[in-house]
Amino acid sequence: MSYEINRRLVRPRQALETSAEIDSVTAGIIRGAFETICFETATHLGRAASSAIINQSNERNASIMDGHGRLAGLSVGIPQLLFISPLAVRWGLEHFKIDDWGPGDVFVGNDPDHGGGHLPDYNVYAPCFDADGKLLAIQALQAHQGDTGGKDPGGFSVDATDIYQEGMAIPRLKLVHRGQARHDALEMLVRNNRFPSFSGDIAAMVSGAQRGAQLLDELATKWGADQVRAAINWNIRETERRFREEVSCWPDGCYEADVWIDHDTVGNEDVRVHVACTVAGDALTVDLTGSDDRPELVCVWNTFSNSRGYAMAQLVSMVDPSIIKNEGLFDAVEIILPEGTIVQPPPDKPAALGAFHPACEIGEAICIALSQILPRRSSPQVYKLGMPNAVIGVDANGQMWMDQGVDVRASDASATEGIDGWGSMCSGLGNLVLAQAEDAESRFPVLNLSREMTTDTGGAGRWRGQPGTRNVKQVLEPTTAVAWMVSKKHPLRGLRGGDDAGPYSNFFEVGSENEYEIENSVQAQLPADAVIAYQYGGGAGFEDALLRDPEAVREDVLDEYVSVEAARARYGVVLHGSVEAYDIELDLEATRRLREELRAARESAP
Amino acid sequence: MSYRIGIDVGGTFTDFALLDGHEVLLEKVSSTPEDNSQAVMAGLEKLAQARGISLGELLADAEAIVHGTTVADNALIQMKGPVTGLLTTAGFRDELELRRGYKEDIWDVRLEPPPAIAPRRRRLTVPERIRADGSIHTPLDEAAARRAIEGLGRQGVESIAISLLFAFVNPVHEKRLGELVQEILPGVAISLSHRVLPRAPEFERTSTTVVNAFVGPGVSGYLDRLVERLSGAGYARDLLVMQSSGGVMTREYLRDMPIRILASGPAGGVIGGARVGAAKSEEDLLCVDMGGTSYDVSVVMGGQAPANAGWNWHHRYLVAVPMIQVETLGAGGGSICHVHHGALEVGPESAGAEPGPICYGRGGQQPTVTDAILILGLLSPDSEFAGGAFSLKREGVDAAFERELAGPLSCSVEEAAFDCWRLVNANMTQAVRRTTAGRGIDPRSLSLLAYGGNGPVFAAIQAEDLGIECVLIPRTSPAFSALGMLAASPTIDEERSYLVSAQEAEISRISALWQELEARALGYFLDAGFPKEEVALRFQMNLRYPGQNWSLSVEVATKGGESAAGFFDAGAMEKTIHRFHELHEEEYGYNRQQESPEITGVRLVSRTSIPEPVFAGGFSAEPRQAEPQGSRRANLGRGFEETPIYRGPDLAPGDRVTAPGIIEETFTTIVVYPGWEARVDDAGDYRLMRAP
Repeated sequence: MSYEINRRLVRPRQALETSAEIDSVTAGIIRGAFETICFETATHLGRAASSAIINQSNERNASIMDGHGRLAGLSVGIPQLLFISPLAVRWGLEHFKIDDWGPGDVFVGNDPDHGGGHLPDYNVYAPCFDADGKLLAIQALQAHQGDTGGKDPGGFSVDATDIYQEGMAIPRLKLVHRGQARHDALEMLVRNNRFPSFSGDIAAMVSGAQRGAQLLDELATKWGADQVRAAINWNIRETERRFREEVSCWPDGCYEADVWIDHDTVGNEDVRVHVACTVAGDALTVDLTGSDDRPELVCVWNTFSNSRGYAMAQLVSMVDPSIIKNEGLFDAVEIILPEGTIVQPPPDKPAALGAFHPACEIGEAICIALSQILPRRSSPQVYKLGMPNAVIGVDANGQMWMDQGVDVRASDASATEGIDGWGSMCSGLGNLVLAQAEDAESRFPVLNLSREMTTDTGGAGRWRGQPGTRNVKQVLEPTTAVAWMVSKKHPLRGLRGGDDAGPYSNFFEVGSENEYEIENSVQAQLPADAVIAYQYGGGAGFEDALLRDPEAVREDVLDEYVSVEAARARYGVVLHGSVEAYDIELDLEATRRLREELRAARESAP
Repeated sequence: MSYRIGIDVGGTFTDFALLDGHEVLLEKVSSTPEDNSQAVMAGLEKLAQARGISLGELLADAEAIVHGTTVADNALIQMKGPVTGLLTTAGFRDELELRRGYKEDIWDVRLEPPPAIAPRRRRLTVPERIRADGSIHTPLDEAAARRAIEGLGRQGVESIAISLLFAFVNPVHEKRLGELVQEILPGVAISLSHRVLPRAPEFERTSTTVVNAFVGPGVSGYLDRLVERLSGAGYARDLLVMQSSGGVMTREYLRDMPIRILASGPAGGVIGGARVGAAKSEEDLLCVDMGGTSYDVSVVMGGQAPANAGWNWHHRYLVAVPMIQVETLGAGGGSICHVHHGALEVGPESAGAEPGPICYGRGGQQPTVTDAILILGLLSPDSEFAGGAFSLKREGVDAAFERELAGPLSCSVEEAAFDCWRLVNANMTQAVRRTTAGRGIDPRSLSLLAYGGNGPVFAAIQAEDLGIECVLIPRTSPAFSALGMLAASPTIDEERSYLVSAQEAEISRISALWQELEARALGYFLDAGFPKEEVALRFQMNLRYPGQNWSLSVEVATKGGESAAGFFDAGAMEKTIHRFHELHEEEYGYNRQQESPEITGVRLVSRTSIPEPVFAGGFSAEPRQAEPQGSRRANLGRGFEETPIYRGPDLAPGDRVTAPGIIEETFTTIVVYPGWEARVDDAGDYRLMRAP
């Protein structure tokens, strides 16, 4: 029963036994070395992998667990996903004896009901033992696979009703025993994957984890295993101390928020995520009780491990960024994920799409709740797209290819106090390197026609959200396209009186007589030369738009982030002249009058 | 007689190293940021005086002048450059701003965006489209192009980057756009992406081209002015310019891609550091360069300082040309010491060269690190500073320290100065730890190589903090980057894209691309007076497995001389594929031998060698206790005490200086802190070790 397993996997774990004394500088150096090992391991995977989502988009994460399965260090990856490997590794660790763990072993696991995230996210991990043969640490790599062997190519089924339709679930499986590859196991994995590139990806993950374990070995030789253990203990304690110290400065109270998803994949509307964040002294509790639990919901179930990771990713964005990321974070916060809800689903639920929604809404709800007391660090760490438009075809040799649509775009880049939204996405996704047209078009029969920002799609506010882009792509051969649309009815919410972001929208066969809008989910056959156009939502605005510096609005208009009309209607700023002639002038007096009128109209509104 | 001269323009000083056979002569003058060529000429004049000859005679006999400059870096740091615009393919206006999603800190939601070199209003698009195979999908819309160029003209644009999709495969539209810009906006500088960085993908190429457009006019104007002044004064050869990759090349070669001189000064220091370390049997080095404005840290492992191309973020902009990795902290002699919210802070603001520290007597009013170490007695008003260029003055220093620091902190002037010294030390130690810990290197396993005018003042105390046992201070340390540039080889490292399955690759096309690169490289070498038979050509091919994004460069052959590219045939292709499988196994632990790899392009590294400075080491001379020339009151970290002063030029190989001691070299001061001793090696360089 997965609830019981989950309860066991997250139970607090003890510090490592060691008699070594350590000073803060040495602890810092060893912690830096951990980060470097993770960095090298993840870089190795990124360079050696075969599929674009790993080698190009950097969707790969490295972390180190200690002998008790505690998160001891991680690399710069994707925060939400960096926190996922520990539970998958702990499931393996529970079977240390029966699975005959030893030096040179490598394992894989991806099962949501046994500590995993969702099926496409494979966790590959390799233990490292000290000179006495005692387990020291485990190097883990997590990366998204292009396929999982389920009923639909790509691992995302918009109508899956259980996990078996999504693909092969692996609680834990040994791939390398004492340095010898288990070809039988590897062949089974490769056989259950549609893409030929998978064999290269899994080989790269295995060799990456082995490399990480070897670097850990060298580290233990250099410092002594006991010093390394003492450093792990020191750093985890320090992280908990610093997190609690921040929380103790927050006003005590209970801060709540609700966030809704437009619908599930079959049209059940307004899926709810509720959070209550309680601050009491240096204790923080994040309780998602009250989130949706309708059994009929399809595909909007986020796995336990993912929910925990997404909640923590939002929380760490709201505290001093210099706090080191490790198990100490989880020691400092109580996260309550009620059983049987969309944030901890019953066993066997499909899990792939839940990693988009409600996963992101967990972070968004925490952000909205805590924005009441933490304006300086409130910025939702989310991606509100349903899923990228994936395009799948078959080449002349009969091999399947997929452009997963991790294209360059702007979406959900929100403002926070004093800073307009900027760049492509929220800061947490700042390491996800987005695909480029010149690479994609050298590889797939597609043509990228446009990916420019759309004026006025950023949420207005005293600080403005970044506009979203409209990505237009043409397929040059007949292909299958898969899409899921949300965040149109419930776009990303503005914070502290800022406007909501512009909504998402998605059209297929644009410009033809068959043009249609994707209202929910679709798996469509596209003819050659069909055009698809995805308008991404913008970033959320922060605080009242009527408070924005009129000069900043003038600049926004010159840069076409904001139109002259929206400057007037949403910001109350009156401008003369034209963008084409670059002679936009600010009418301060008219602006003052208009803003007064708009405020008065607001107050008299019901 | 023939000389070779290295020149390094820094933020505060311009350094010179003149190589005459094995003899090295150093010079140092204040930088002239308004027109750096003034300081260059002034320094050359001083070098000539020191040789007892005229500037004309010096330059006529100069076989090579190698130059590194911070002109490009300063433009990016201060955001001072031409009004820059971008013309790009319709639909791709925002690639530059979207940065492929990259943000420097994934944990900090308060990270501010970088200032925009080309804000959205100056990024205009033109309907046109080239496809991956180079075919034209949409012809260039010339009427729209004219409107866009006129739009940039109305905004007063002075420099334009042109970066179109797949221009590196087929540059026809970029070339035509360039012609239109010349016609409509004559005099505006133009950077074409297929010339600056002819490779995929679009963000990397576009960003590099835009940065090139922003720094280019300043760099070009400066180099042209300098070349004109040098040739006017009698220099007949080509000016060689240091590149961020660690190689040098001619001014003409850099005309289309001035961006390649970014970070050229630090690169010179690291190349020189690697050579000095090797000569003294220290191949793992922490190189620290403390000058007037900054503290640069780099690591040399096994005698190598690698240069990486591609995903290089420099001053928050992506610059995809090959660069040696150097981290910079705003801590130098000119760093301003101030009190902020009741706490003492040092830097990152710097008083620079003008007005400089208060003790320069040029109108500086704010306390700096140099002023603090003057108060501590580590420097002295009685000794000559910067080779006798001027003396330091104590006047006004104490009053400023009282007003700005001692008063607010309720301490004495001497205590305030000591706290400044401690704080700048701690800042530097943290910067080093970030560099080494971030790479998993224990600094204790390294030797510290200190250079820059202020490096040796702090070197031993830095080593103490970091647990380092050995400090190397070359006698040439004050102008070390300038000398290092003389150790760098003239190099051209270029690629051409050719995206094709190795099975379907046309041998003749590969040969033609190499021939094009070879002709181009040899042309530049020939123009610079390097005989082509002395140019070594390393032919490389970039390969990857289908589905991979990053390629490996496979060595195909090394040849010399002309028309070497003709060697390539089907057999050589087979061998190259075989080597790729082997290399992939070595790098990543597996290969996919059953699959045919993809070629992404060809690469040619052309290099010639030039006479370089001889670096040496060793201790064969008879040990001798050095005699101090006097003493003064100084605080070396354990309170003020009477401290022996040694004259550097009087010290000979074998000489030993025990702590406490201060060695006054012509352009720098070496402090022998308690617990350390200094020895002069056979090359006349200093090695500081823990006292027995």
